[in-house]
Amino acid sequence: MHLKVNDESHEVTVDAERTLLSVLRHELGLTGTKYGCGEGNCGACTVLIDGEATRSCITPVTSAGGREITTIEGLANGDKLHPVQEAFVEHTAFQCAYCTSGFIMSSAALLDRTPSPSDEQIQSALSGHICRCGAYVRILKAVKSAAEQDGVE
Amino acid sequence: MSEQQSLAGIALTIVGTPRWSLEPDPRTPPGDPATLLIIDTDGVITAFSGKVEYGQGIRNGFAMEIADELDVAVDSVRIILGDTDLVPQDRGTTGSASTRTVGIQLRRAAATARLTLIDLAATRLEVGAGSLKTLDGRVVSEESPAGVEYADLLSGQTLTVDIPDVVEVKAVEEFQLMGRPARRIDAISRVTGAATYAQDVVVPGMLYGKILRPPSYGAKLAQVDSARAERVSGVVSVVQDGDFVGVVAEREDAAEYAVEAIRARWEESRDTASDWNIPALLKERAENPTSLREDGDLDLAFVSAERVFENTYYVPYVSNAQMEPSASVARWDGDHLTVWCANRGPFAERDSLAEMFGLDTSQVRVIAAEIGGSFGTKTPTVSHEAARLARAVDAPVRVSYDRAEEFGWSTVRPAATFEVKSGVDAGGKIVAWDYTAFHAGENAFRGQRGADTPYDVDNVRIAVAASESPLQSGSYRSLGGATNHFAREVHMDEIAIGLGLDPLEFRLSNLSHARLRACLVAAAKTFGWASREKRPGVGYGLAIGYDAGSFTAQCVEVLVENGEARVIRVMVGFDCGLVVNPDGARNQIEGSIVMGMGTALWEAVEFDGGRVLNAGFARYRVPRITDTPEIEVVFTGDDDMPSSGAGEPGIVPIAAAIANAVRDATGTAIEELPIVPRL
Ligand code: FES
Ligand code: FES
Repeated sequence: MHLKVNDESHEVTVDAERTLLSVLRHELGLTGTKYGCGEGNCGACTVLIDGEATRSCITPVTSAGGREITTIEGLANGDKLHPVQEAFVEHTAFQCAYCTSGFIMSSAALLDRTPSPSDEQIQSALSGHICRCGAYVRILKAVKSAAEQDGVE
Repeated sequence: MSEQQSLAGIALTIVGTPRWSLEPDPRTPPGDPATLLIIDTDGVITAFSGKVEYGQGIRNGFAMEIADELDVAVDSVRIILGDTDLVPQDRGTTGSASTRTVGIQLRRAAATARLTLIDLAATRLEVGAGSLKTLDGRVVSEESPAGVEYADLLSGQTLTVDIPDVVEVKAVEEFQLMGRPARRIDAISRVTGAATYAQDVVVPGMLYGKILRPPSYGAKLAQVDSARAERVSGVVSVVQDGDFVGVVAEREDAAEYAVEAIRARWEESRDTASDWNIPALLKERAENPTSLREDGDLDLAFVSAERVFENTYYVPYVSNAQMEPSASVARWDGDHLTVWCANRGPFAERDSLAEMFGLDTSQVRVIAAEIGGSFGTKTPTVSHEAARLARAVDAPVRVSYDRAEEFGWSTVRPAATFEVKSGVDAGGKIVAWDYTAFHAGENAFRGQRGADTPYDVDNVRIAVAASESPLQSGSYRSLGGATNHFAREVHMDEIAIGLGLDPLEFRLSNLSHARLRACLVAAAKTFGWASREKRPGVGYGLAIGYDAGSFTAQCVEVLVENGEARVIRVMVGFDCGLVVNPDGARNQIEGSIVMGMGTALWEAVEFDGGRVLNAGFARYRVPRITDTPEIEVVFTGDDDMPSSGAGEPGIVPIAAAIANAVRDATGTAIEELPIVPRL
């Protein structure tokens, strides 16, 4: 089948039952998207499908065919980080950072839809994500500052 | 090719013996001399440490220390961690000793390099070394402010210098980087998905392994039929060796299907322990307690006490549930084994692999990948499994746990039961303290951490017992420390409330430890403890703690309503001596508090007959962003005190502080965790 990931087309021959996560990580080598639970409960595997934050661990690869998939590796514009990535660096909004790709992808999708979200909107957009290192205070700050930054630009 | 060989050419090598403790300790022989720091001909500085990065920002801490000692920019320093073929021997990364001991040794190495560079410049410029100093990667003097670049001084050199016995490191006032907020040097790779965790390691020709798990702890394999599994397309081999059964396949999904296709019959141990009867079982199944301290005359003190308080407390098993499930890749090259993994003690892991396969330690190389959270778990089991499968199929094999395996088969924080009896005199002074803790698991010596009381009391008995554990207990953030503190600090409120005293005043009047007092006073002040207002559903609580050479106090506000408890804010006094990287330390303290909040409010492993019943995030509630309180940290430490840990101590008082606050809100004492299911 045909997969379009980070603006690149890939032909993959895979079992229809496989998840998008498994194909991204193991067939395309895009390991920035993480496996955390495989059950849709932690958000570590979040990617964008046609701009929508989606859990790739519970998305059958077949349902992503022909759609625009963006992973953490494709979020920056060349060397220029996405404002959310920039803000996560600025606020050190992580410790181990295993959860970070997922948080960034969901935050990017949120800001795309809602450029100036309230705290509650940020929290609810990210409530499906787990950061076991507990970097939440910083994640909230980072997303807020990315929103402000974006507004200024 | 090793990283060391790939360098441009090493101009200067600094050699020293790894240290286990701050001061040389005559009881433990020093490690073998090893390369601690090199500068290549391009001026790039590389330092080596057996510690690992699991999110505590250790790479950054080391880089800052070295950059400061050598007067260079932090991004010209590379840190190689946890590769047993490259780095000096180490005893594992137990949070807090890391920055302290290794940091100081690396600073000494960097200081030695600085002095060597100054000597080289003195010879080159034909001036006395005394007139020279280092600045921005150069050696400069009054006469020659432009000076000479390090790379220039080192070109054509191949020097090896031993760290002298006495080498002066910089004083705090001279630090440019240390003590100031900084972005982590590994930040970009973390936000772009480039950092390689154990889950992400790919080796050419790598196959995927999956292990057949027993239905419950202690189950023995009676019969196995793997014929169906072998027929699954993509399966390379089904490996069996006693109770160890695993599938190796070309793809992860094939390995998963195949393991499910194995027919196995197990004899289960049918242990009657469950999360319901475990509090009492811990005492019943315990060995004799080990006495840690016996002071004064306890019996007499209880007889003469004005009031006596006696309670039993319980803390359940909790799951580390770090975000990255355990994973490992193993590769055999003849009789040489290389393992990539996320273990905090790469040398211990190397030794255990060597022992398992009857190899010399020089035949095993362990390379620590980035670790997606650890908090102590990530036992070597996964590497052993990968290595066994790799050997059987003669190809590199990756084993990674799924979330249910991680919940069910990696270690959990031991449950513990505590008996605390205290006596106070008419003036509210504690005169007797009798404390016995029963920690699950053979490693109960670790349950000694934090068991002693820091309060002033003359008649004391502190005892800790190991109890048989129906689950596989292992390490956790401040193992023992966090649970012992819960019992002690909740009991302190029991006494204060019994005597009608303010919990802050009661603690201060029984506490002469200066550093703890300073933390407590600072936390209470920032919190506004004295002017706290009683409102419906709102409660306030505090607790103090010590761990890993650091001290802390936390004041908490909670809101209890509709059967839920919400932590609104946490004010922290924290003393970890010199704060190398305040932002990093804050990050760790915030994380500890969020994690500890989960253990206080919701987390408990439910189990019955050796089966974990809530092996998934859907049934094991952890803190989410919507639960996050406001957290403020005040550092009260003295810059002249050596740095001590910031990664773990933050967790020790939080559960008790929350429990005390919930009691303040509801009027009901909290003696068992987690709180919310009991509201
Ligand atoms: S891995 Fe997809 S939600 Fe956890
Ligand atoms: S930073 Fe470790 S899980 Fe979020």
